[in-house]
Amino acid sequence: MKNVWITSGLLSALLLSGCGGSSEKKAEAPAEAPAAAPIDTANAGTVTGKVAFAGQAPAARTISMDATPACARAHSTPQRSEEVIVNSNGTLKNAFVYVKAGLPQREWPVTAPAAKLDQQGCIYTPHVLGVQANQDIEITNSDPTNHNIHPLPKVNREWNESQPPKGEAKTKQFPREEIMIPVKCNVHPWMRSYIGVVSHPYFAVTGDDGSFTIPNLPPGEYTLATWHEKYGEQEQKITVGPKESKTVEFSYKG
Amino acid sequence: MTDQEKDPVVHSSLSWHLVIWSVLLVLSMGWALWDEVYGIRPWKGYQTRFVTLYRNFLKTVQPAEAETEKKIKASSEYQRLDREMLAAEKSVAQRVGEIDREVNQTLVPRQLTLNDAFQIVRSEIGALTYQTEVASSEGGKQSLRKEIDDIKKRVAAVRLPNADGSTASQDYTYGQMEKDLDTWKSRKAQLLQQRVALLKPAAELRAQRDKYLSDRIADVSTETLAGIERTLDTFETGIRQIHIKDVDLVDRCESCHLGTREPVVLTKAAMGGEAVYTSHPRLELLEVHDPERFGCTPCHGGNGVATSSITKGHGRHKYWLWPMHYRENFEAGCQQCHSGEIVTEMADTLNAGRELFRLRGCMGCHRYEGFDREPEELTSVHQEIRQLQTQKAEWEREAGFSIQKADRVSDNAEAQRLYAHADNLKVRSSGVDAKIEQLDMRARNLIQEIKKVGPSLKEVRMKLRKEWLPVWVENPNHWRPGTKMPTFRLDQDEVRAISAFIWQSGLTGKAVQHPQGNAERGREAFETRGCMACHSMGEGDQKQGGTFAANLSRVGEKVNYNYLVRWIHNPRERTLPYDPIEKRDLTEEDYKKQGLPFVFDEEHSRSPYGNHELVVQQMTPMPSLRLSIEESRDIATYLMTRKQDNAAYAEAAYLDDPALKARGQFLVRHYGCAGCHEIAGLEEEQRIGTELTKEGSKPLERLDFALLGHDAHGEGWYNHKGFFENKLKDPAVYDKGKEKESKLERLKMPNFNLSKQEVDAVTTFLLGSVESTLPARYHFKPTDQRQDIAEGWWVVRKYNCMGCHQMRVGQSTVFMTLPRYQDPDWKEQVPPILIGEGARVDPDWLMRFLKNPAMHESTVDRNGVRQYLKARMPTFHFSDGELRKLVRFFEALSAQAQPYIAQSLEPLSESERLMARQLFSSEGAPCLKCHATGDPGHDRIATAPNFLLAKERLKPGWTRRWMIDPAMMAPGTAMPSGLFQRDGERWIFAGPTPPNFRTYTKDHVDLLVRYMFQFTPEELGRLRASAGSGAGR
Amino acid sequence: MDLHQLWTIISTPDNVPIVMLLFVVPFYSWYALRQAFANDRLIEQLEADPAMAKTHHRKVQPYRPEWSREVHVWPFLLRIEFLAAIIVTVILVVWSITLNAPLEEPANPTLTMNPSKAPWYFLGLQEMLVYFDPWMAGVVMPSLIIGGLMVIPYIDANPLGNGYYTFKQRKYSILTFLFGFIVLWTSMIVIGTLIRGPGWMWFWPGMTWDHNRLVFEVNRDLPDIFGIKSGIMKSLFGGFVVTLYAIACGIGVHKLITRTPFNRKIYGRMSLVQYITMQVFMITMIALPVKIILKLLFRIKYVWITPWFNI
Repeated sequence: MKNVWITSGLLSALLLSGCGGSSEKKAEAPAEAPAAAPIDTANAGTVTGKVAFAGQAPAARTISMDATPACARAHSTPQRSEEVIVNSNGTLKNAFVYVKAGLPQREWPVTAPAAKLDQQGCIYTPHVLGVQANQDIEITNSDPTNHNIHPLPKVNREWNESQPPKGEAKTKQFPREEIMIPVKCNVHPWMRSYIGVVSHPYFAVTGDDGSFTIPNLPPGEYTLATWHEKYGEQEQKITVGPKESKTVEFSYKG
Repeated sequence: MTDQEKDPVVHSSLSWHLVIWSVLLVLSMGWALWDEVYGIRPWKGYQTRFVTLYRNFLKTVQPAEAETEKKIKASSEYQRLDREMLAAEKSVAQRVGEIDREVNQTLVPRQLTLNDAFQIVRSEIGALTYQTEVASSEGGKQSLRKEIDDIKKRVAAVRLPNADGSTASQDYTYGQMEKDLDTWKSRKAQLLQQRVALLKPAAELRAQRDKYLSDRIADVSTETLAGIERTLDTFETGIRQIHIKDVDLVDRCESCHLGTREPVVLTKAAMGGEAVYTSHPRLELLEVHDPERFGCTPCHGGNGVATSSITKGHGRHKYWLWPMHYRENFEAGCQQCHSGEIVTEMADTLNAGRELFRLRGCMGCHRYEGFDREPEELTSVHQEIRQLQTQKAEWEREAGFSIQKADRVSDNAEAQRLYAHADNLKVRSSGVDAKIEQLDMRARNLIQEIKKVGPSLKEVRMKLRKEWLPVWVENPNHWRPGTKMPTFRLDQDEVRAISAFIWQSGLTGKAVQHPQGNAERGREAFETRGCMACHSMGEGDQKQGGTFAANLSRVGEKVNYNYLVRWIHNPRERTLPYDPIEKRDLTEEDYKKQGLPFVFDEEHSRSPYGNHELVVQQMTPMPSLRLSIEESRDIATYLMTRKQDNAAYAEAAYLDDPALKARGQFLVRHYGCAGCHEIAGLEEEQRIGTELTKEGSKPLERLDFALLGHDAHGEGWYNHKGFFENKLKDPAVYDKGKEKESKLERLKMPNFNLSKQEVDAVTTFLLGSVESTLPARYHFKPTDQRQDIAEGWWVVRKYNCMGCHQMRVGQSTVFMTLPRYQDPDWKEQVPPILIGEGARVDPDWLMRFLKNPAMHESTVDRNGVRQYLKARMPTFHFSDGELRKLVRFFEALSAQAQPYIAQSLEPLSESERLMARQLFSSEGAPCLKCHATGDPGHDRIATAPNFLLAKERLKPGWTRRWMIDPAMMAPGTAMPSGLFQRDGERWIFAGPTPPNFRTYTKDHVDLLVRYMFQFTPEELGRLRASAGSGAGR
Repeated sequence: MDLHQLWTIISTPDNVPIVMLLFVVPFYSWYALRQAFANDRLIEQLEADPAMAKTHHRKVQPYRPEWSREVHVWPFLLRIEFLAAIIVTVILVVWSITLNAPLEEPANPTLTMNPSKAPWYFLGLQEMLVYFDPWMAGVVMPSLIIGGLMVIPYIDANPLGNGYYTFKQRKYSILTFLFGFIVLWTSMIVIGTLIRGPGWMWFWPGMTWDHNRLVFEVNRDLPDIFGIKSGIMKSLFGGFVVTLYAIACGIGVHKLITRTPFNRKIYGRMSLVQYITMQVFMITMIALPVKIILKLLFRIKYVWITPWFNI
C-alpha cells in the first residue's frame, strides 16, 4: 500500500519538474519586437502654443558675404545672422518643438512629403528644419554659385556634398533620431541650418509669430520639449485628453 | 531442534547477502558503463542539445529570410534575368534534347556492351603478350605470337542495343572493336562539347541572376539555411578535433563549442541562453588565424585534448600550465606571437596594457624585450663598432704582410696571388669603414632617441619651488590625482633625504628673466595650439585633454615662471650637455679647456673630449611647438594662474642640508628613480626590477606569494592572473605579515594607483608574456611592409601622434573630444586625418615635413602646410632613424611601393592651362573659396592648403581619387564630394563650365590634376587675378 | 585547525589508500587477534577435558556434539569467498569510477616540487631517510627487510599454529610481526603521507602546510655531545656504543624468548645459525625505533660515524 503512495508521489514530482522545465523554456525565448500598437487617431488631440522670449535680444551680427560676390549680389541689404530672431510679438522664431517622451514604442510610418531645404542668397531656408526619421529631405540650390551641404551629425552618418549652381535637387534621409544636426557649407562659412530628426511625426518649428501646432496627437501623457540654437532645451510635462486641444507656453530668458 | 541449536556454518543462509551484493555489483557495473559512455564524455550531451537548439533557432530565422528573398525575387530586375535565363534555355532546349538522347540512348549503351567484349579479348592478348616477353626459347615466342594473331583474327558476334531498345547482333574482330569504340568516343565528346556551348548563355544568365540575389541578401540565404538543416539531419555525434601535425596540436574544443564557425551568427539568446554554442565573436580574426592552421588553444589557452569535463578542457586545473585565459584577459593570447608589436589590431586591452607598461615607466625598472630598447641597442652598436675596428686593423696588417711576402717570393704567379689577396683585404677594410660610418650615425640617432618617462631632475633648482618637492615625493598621486608618477612607501626621513638629494644634485644655469605675458591669450593658445592633445587641465570630472602627459591644473604652485617660459619655448633645451664617456655634464670650462665655443645642439653634438656623441637634448618626448617667445610667455603666464588658492607649503630649509645628501642618493638608487628620471650622477644606473619578458610562463612556484600563498589556494587565486592582479592593485601586498629587519628589505615596487581596467590591461599583457610553445613560424615576424607598420607604431606611440591625428578608422583623437571642437565652426580646426596619408603624400616631402613642419628655414612660427590651423604641428626633433620608420610606416599603411617613383604627367597645353584656370576661378567652382591662395586677406578664412604645395607634396593618383570623392578617403572632411560626375568613360565637372570646355573631350579631373602639378607662383598670381575679375562677372 | 588543508591532504586520490590504511589495519589486526584468543580459550578447554578433545574436531566455538564433525569446502567455504569476491569487486569498481589516477604537470628539471614524495608504498623508506644516511636507509635497510622476510620460515622452530589462529602458541612471532608491520612499516607510511609537509617538516594533522615555515633544529652526532672531536675517535666511540647496544639488545631479546618454559622449548629446538640469524634481524629491527626516538627526542643525527657509512 505504502509503495503506491511513494510511486505516485515520485511520478507527480517528475511531472511537476517536467512542467517547470517547459515553462522555463518559454521564458528563455527571445523577446518579440514591440507589436505596433494602433494609434488612437479617432479622438486625437492637438497641442498648440508659442515660445515666448523675455529679456534683451542680443544684437544679431551682420554677415559679410564679400568672399563670394555672387552671394553679396543676391542681397541689397546686409544680411544678419539668424541665430536669435525675436518676433515683433516677443516670441522666438526657429525654435524646434517636439514630443520628447511618452509616445508608445512603435514604427511610425512616414506619411509627410519631402521636407525642403533651399539655398538662396547663400542662406539655408528654412534655418531650422524638422523631419521624421527616414523622411526625404529635398535640398536645392537656387544660387548662381556652388554650394556644399555638410551636415555634422553625431548619431547619423556625416556627409558633405557639393551642389553646382541651379544643380538638380538632392534627396537625402536621416534614419536615426537626432536633436539637432547642424548643417554648414564649407564654401560659405556663415551658412548654417539645423535639422531636427525625430522618429515620429509630432514636431513643429516656430515661425514668425513664434507659435507652433502639433496636430492629431493621440491622448496620453507626454514630455514636450523645445530646442533653440542659442538658448538650449526646455521641457514640459503635458497630458492630452481625447479630442482635447492643449495650449502650451514655453519661454526663454534673454 | 531450535534455530539456536542449528550449526551456523551449515545452516546460516547467505542468500540475502548474495542477492544484495549481486544487485550492487550489477548497479556498479551499470554505473561503470554509463560513466564510460556519458559520464566522462560530456560533449555527447552537448552535441545532442546543440542540434535541437540549432533547429529551433533556424525555424525562427527561416521565415524572415524567405520573406526578404521573396521580395528580391519579385523585383523586376530579378524577374527579367530569370525570364532571359529561361528563354535562353528554351531556345536551345530542343537541340540539347536531341544530343542527350543520342548520347544516353545510343552511344553510351553501345559503348558499354562492346567494351565488355573488347576488354575480354584485350586481357587475353595482354596475358599472352606477357608470356611472349618472358618466354625463354625463340620457338616458344613464335608459337605465342601466332596464338595472339589467331585471337586477333577471331570473329565474335556482339549484340549491340539500338536507340529503340531492340538489339542487333554484329560480328567483330578485335581491330574493328577498337575502331568502333574510338569513333563513338570522339562522337560523344564532340556532342557534349556542343551541348556545353549551347547552354553557355543560359548558364551565364543563371549566374547573373543568382549573383543579383546573393548581392542583396545581407546574411545567409535560404539555400544556406536548408544546407545547414541537411547537415543537422546527418549530424554525427563524435569528437570534433583540429589536428595540426607539425605542431602536434590537438584541439577538441569544437566538440562542445559547435557554433564557433557556423555560417549563421549564433548568439547566446538565440541558442537558448547557452554561451557554449555561440559563434566566435570576432570571425574576422578567424579569417586571419584560420583555426585549421592555428587551432584554438594557442590563442585561448586551455587543454585542447581534454574532453572529460569543462574544468579539464578549459585547463582550469592545478597541474595544467596553460589554463584558458579569463574573459578580461583573453587578448593575452595575442601577445605570445605578436610580442614585437606595441599596437596589435583588434587587441585593445592588450594594447592598453602595453601602453601603460611604456607610459607609466614600468620599463624603467623591469626589462622587457623591445620596450625602451634604445640604450641596449646603443651599447650593442658601440660593441659592433669596436669589433669592426679590430677586424679592420687585422686585415690591414695581414695585407701588409702578404705584400711583403709577395715582394720576396720567387714565383711570379704566387706573387700575383699575394698582391691580389692584399688588394682584396684593403678593399674589404675600406668597406668596413662605410659600415662603421653607418653605425656611427645609428649611435648618434639612438642617443637622440633615448627618452625618459619622467622629467630630468637636473633641472629642479631652476624649475621648481623648493617647498613643493617634498610634498610631491611623499605622495604624487595625492597632489595630482592620476599622475604617472607612482607612490613609494616612504617615511618622513626618507622623503626629506630624497628631496634633499634631488634638490642638491640639481644644476644651476643662467636664469633669463621674462616679463609677464597675457594670461587670456595664453589660455586661448593653450587650448588651441595643441597642448591639450597630451596635457590635461582641470580636476575630477572637469578634467579635459590628453592623458599622455601631466595634468597642469596646479602647475602654478610648483614651477618658476622663467623656467616655464624657456620650457614652453623649447622643451628640448638643455642646461648642460651630458657626456656618456666622461659620465658627467660638461660645463663651459670643459669647452674652454679645449678652446671650443660653448655651443651644443643637434649640429654641435660632438664632445670636446674625443669625437663621441653628447646628449644635447632633454630626454623628453615633448616637442617644440615653435612658438614665438611672446606666445610662450602668454602660455606660461596662463599656466602660472593654474593653482589652488588655499595651497600652502611647509618651509623646507632642510633641502640644503648636505648631511642628508648621501642617504638621499642611496635611497634614490635603492628605489630605482633613475629608471624614469635623469639624475645627476645616476645616469648610468641599471634597472632594479626583474625582467618580465617571459613572466607569464614563470613557474608558479617561482612567484613569491609569501604568506598569502595559502589564502590564495583557499580563495582560488593561486595562479599567475591572481598574482599579477593583486601585485598591481597593491604592490606591497606580498609584504603582508612579513617581519622585515629594515624598511629597505620590503618590496620596492611603488603603487601606481591603477584602476580596475588598467590592472586588467597590464595583467593581460603580462599573462601573454610567455615562452611560446609554438614553433617560430607561427610568431608574427613579418619581413614585408607589415614590419614597417609594426615598427612605425612604436614611434607613433612614443610621440603620441594619435593625440592629434586619426591614424585608424574609428579611432578618436583628444582634439575630437575637446568641447571647443564640438562646435561646427571649429571642425576644420581639428588636425588632419592621416588615414591613407601614405597614398596621399610624396615620401620625400613627408620626410622633409616631419623634419621641419614649418617648411621654412627662418620663419618657423607657422604650420608648413595648413597655415589656417590654430593647432600647430610641432617639431619633434625625430632622429633620422625615426623619420625613416615614420615615412615607411605611412607608406606601408597604404601599401605603397618603395621607393616611390613619381609618375610624370603630360604637360598642359596653353589652352588647357587657360581652361583650368577659368574653371578654378569660375563662380561654379568653389576651390579658391577654401584653399589658401597666399593672399593674406583670403587666407584668414581659408580652410585648406595652398595649391602651390600640390606638386611637391601630393601623389597625382591620390589627388585624382580625392577630387572625385574625398568622403571615401576621409569621412567628414571639409572637401565636398560630388564635384564631378561621370560622363561615359570620363569625369566632368558637375557645375557649369566655362564656354571653352564645350569642345574639350578629355577628363576634367585629369586636367585639374595636371594643372595642379604644373602650378607655379606666377600661375597662382594669374589665377588670383582672374578670380578677382570673376567677381565682376 | 586548518580544515581546508586537512581535507586537501586526505582527499588527494593518492592518499585515500593511506587514510583507509588507518582504519583497516587496526581493525583486521584486532579481528585476527580476537579469533586467535577465542581459539586459545578452546585449546585450554580441550587440554582440560581429554574426553571432549577426542570428539571435538572443530577449531572454533560454539560446538554441539550433534553437529557434523566436518563440513565441506564446497559450498560452505566457497560461498563465503564468492561473496567476499563480489564485495571487493563492487568496492573496486566504485573506487575506480570515483577517484581518477592523479596526473601532474610535465616534469620540469629546473623545478622540484615541495614536498616531493615517493609513491605511497615507498613512503616508509623515504621516511627512513630522515633517520639514517641514504646508504643505510636506501640500500641496506630494504635489502635487510627482504632478507628478513625470506629467512622467517627457516628460523621459525615453532611447529604449532599451522592452519588456525592462535596467539598463545605463537606470541613471539605474532608480536614481532605486529611490531615490524605496524610500527616499522605502516606507521612510517602514514607519517610520510599525512604528517610530512613542505621541506619534509613535521606537520601535525590540521596544521597549515606553510611553505614559508622555518623550524630551529640542530642535529648533533652522539660523539659531539661527549665532546669527541677527532675522526678516528668518533668512529671508535660510535662503534663502541653500537656494539654496546647490540649486546644489550641481544641479551634483552634472549631474555624475552627464554622467559616461559614453552618458549624455552622452542629455543631448544633452534640451531645456532637459526638463533644468530634471528638475533641479528631482531637487533637491527629494534635499532630502527631506537634511532627514531634518538632523532626525534634528542635530535641525534648519527651515533656511529665512519668514513664509509654512518649509523
